[in-house]
Amino acid sequence: MNHTIKRFDEELDKLKELVLTMGGLVERAIGNAVQSMLEQDEALAKRTIEQDDEINDLEIECDEMIRDILVRRQPAAGDLRLILGIIKVVTDLERMGDLAAGISKAMLTSQENPPKNFSNLDIMGEKVQKQVKRTLNALSRGDTNLSMKVIDKDQGIDKLYKRMYREMLTYMLEDPREISSSIIVSNVAKSLERISDHATNISEMVVYITRGHDIRHVEHDAAEKMLSGDDG
Amino acid sequence: MKTPKISIRDLKLWYGESEALHGINVEFVENQVTALIGPSGCGKSTLLRCLNRMNDRISGCRIEGEVLIDGDDIYAPEVDVVQLRTHVGMVFQKPNPFPKSIYENVAYAPRIHGLAEKSSEMDELVETALRRASIWDEVKDKLNSPGTSLSGGQQQRLCIARTIAVQPNVILMDEPCSALDPIATAKIEELIDELKGEFTIIMVTHSMQQAARISDQTAFFYMGDLIEFGETGKIFTQPEKQQTEDYITGRFG
Repeated sequence: MNHTIKRFDEELDKLKELVLTMGGLVERAIGNAVQSMLEQDEALAKRTIEQDDEINDLEIECDEMIRDILVRRQPAAGDLRLILGIIKVVTDLERMGDLAAGISKAMLTSQENPPKNFSNLDIMGEKVQKQVKRTLNALSRGDTNLSMKVIDKDQGIDKLYKRMYREMLTYMLEDPREISSSIIVSNVAKSLERISDHATNISEMVVYITRGHDIRHVEHDAAEKMLSGDDG
Repeated sequence: MKTPKISIRDLKLWYGESEALHGINVEFVENQVTALIGPSGCGKSTLLRCLNRMNDRISGCRIEGEVLIDGDDIYAPEVDVVQLRTHVGMVFQKPNPFPKSIYENVAYAPRIHGLAEKSSEMDELVETALRRASIWDEVKDKLNSPGTSLSGGQQQRLCIARTIAVQPNVILMDEPCSALDPIATAKIEELIDELKGEFTIIMVTHSMQQAARISDQTAFFYMGDLIEFGETGKIFTQPEKQQTEDYITGRFG
């Protein structure tokens, strides 16, 4: 049902649209960052870094809108949860953008001794992008099932990172000349792992926004139980 | 959970043929502020008025069910309504001081009820009530001025002093701030917060922000039904019923 004050509906719609636009840019930035590293594409890396400014500008625009809505509308219940959730989502998205830009920066600084062996970075990049796409879809549709899937799949990303980290350590031990490039690949994997963590945070917020349950720091099974408790 | 001060059981009320309350069940806790919210005509003021039998005077008004205060049914035949209203005081929407002095406004009811024998005792009682209503400092030098000479916010605090002078244990408030400016409203809200240490306060308000600011529990009424009752923080962040959500987020038709 719409608000009696139509303008409030318009403001909330606009805010959601801004967040999703920001999410779209972040999603693209992650894809470009990974691609710039894997293909050693300097131009793409530079573009990715530049485009982070757009993400930062959107963060500020969202924050200003949120401030105005809080002052003018004093939101309650579902509206309040949406606003509180978006405050956090926007911060996560901005960090994800920074991490993507960081990957491209690492690509540019490693040009003297560019890494050749990227291990499973391509697979990890794809998986993390999927996580981001899922969490944004969950946010846009208020789909808590999809949110729970994102949270569940984060463990797989963590494992993948650990495996890659061990692999890089092995290369470093085997051949000291591999140290700098292995550290770079390992750092990129770490950035991707953190991006997935932020995607998880967003999914947790989707659950809060949609259902009112705070499932942060709650075991996955307990969170599932919390959500299923609503249906009974 | 604290002990319920007021228990309402299957309360139905009719004005003539029209059923205004459809079987309300709720318990109000001692020393807490409960806000009754809902659109006009939802039954919140009607319910409030049941708690000190203000509806008795309305012709054609009929009640079924029970209202227990401290376990006693206030609609039992032996109940003296005048006595009941000393225990359950009421503050109205518009401040309505008697056309008497500030002092007399407070002293009037205690005198009738014989609460003070000597004039020194009455002076003390009046001062205590005015102090507890946070208006003593503003009126102590003009106790003989008419109550109506005060500002709206002061008049409302005088009415609260008048209510607490007869030592009630429940105070009912029917939109006590709706005729007041924001500063006077803030003073009343601050006062309500102080008074809840001693009294059980049930308040009807049209301001949801006010309910969120000062109440411990909130009850949402719609069309004569109690739709949802619960802890105020929960009602305003995660209400269980869609109707509550629609109302407090401003989505009501």
